[in-house]
Amino acid sequence: MMLFDIASIIEQIPGEIYISILVVFVIFVFSLIVFFKVKKADPLKKPKGILLLAEIGVTTFDGMVQKQMGRHFEGLGGYFMGVAIYMFLAFTIGLLGLPSPMGYYMVPFSLALVTFFMIHITSIRYKKWGYFHRFIEPFPPFLPINLLSMWAPLISMSFRLFCNALAGWAIMSLLYYVMQAASGAIFFFLPAGLNTVFIAPFIASWLHLYFDLFSAFIQTLVFLMLSMIFIAQEAPSEDDLAIAPVVA
Amino acid sequence: MLIDVLHTLMDVGTGLAAIGAGLAIGIGGGMSGIGEGNICAKGVEGIARNPEADSKIRTGMILGCALDETTGIYSLLIAILIIFVLK
Repeated sequence: MMLFDIASIIEQIPGEIYISILVVFVIFVFSLIVFFKVKKADPLKKPKGILLLAEIGVTTFDGMVQKQMGRHFEGLGGYFMGVAIYMFLAFTIGLLGLPSPMGYYMVPFSLALVTFFMIHITSIRYKKWGYFHRFIEPFPPFLPINLLSMWAPLISMSFRLFCNALAGWAIMSLLYYVMQAASGAIFFFLPAGLNTVFIAPFIASWLHLYFDLFSAFIQTLVFLMLSMIFIAQEAPSEDDLAIAPVVA
Repeated sequence: MLIDVLHTLMDVGTGLAAIGAGLAIGIGGGMSGIGEGNICAKGVEGIARNPEADSKIRTGMILGCALDETTGIYSLLIAILIIFVLK
């Protein structure tokens, strides 16, 4: 009895979730390798190989966080690096023929939900009861408008990722169909199963370069920049601190 | 007589849904294109005025283009939904 239930549960979970678990597992293995290499590394020598990549990544994200958000938020460099690597891998795993996790709305929705909670928790933490002032912003009659515009960052960020992944997949399917039909028409003298494979290999890689790689890079960058700007708006500005910003 | 011919070929509801999908993507994509043209025009003019701020202006331009692209892609999503759901 239990065995049939488990089988039907495994069948009903959409495939994108399994791909998401695979992506997280790949990142986990990479992190373990970096961890064990860092323990044995000599801090006075120049890093090589994987350690060089890890060091470039950490300095890039720490610098980005310090430039956009100031000294309050030093610890968030690690979080943004994890989110950026997961998002980039989740978009580009479509190149291997596997369904991209961003094509299932719950995945980009949860990423945007984390940012949504960070924005409001930062606001509560720095303003305490002044948090409720945001609903009465210019005048009290603006309350319904402010209640609705609270959800705008959540919906726009999740829709941006989801629609880019979905639209890219739909357009690539259409273009594969067109290339198969064109190849079938040009090589009409070959048997039916064999004549559709000649045009796609030359053109598909350039299309994937735009729809998968370029789109992944730009969407990751936009998600990071928007998250950082929204969160930094809730904290007091840099001039109120007497510390000068330091970038490594 | 033309309407009888059309009636036998395709349901009026499907035809109207097709017009809706076409309008959605046409107006959405067109407005997105106008916006991105303005972004790039101002960006290039800014670089021409001050070539040292090249990379900062380029970052701002790409961020602006991605935000603009979002509304264009919202309209593409609606057009795809209309075609596949309102057969």
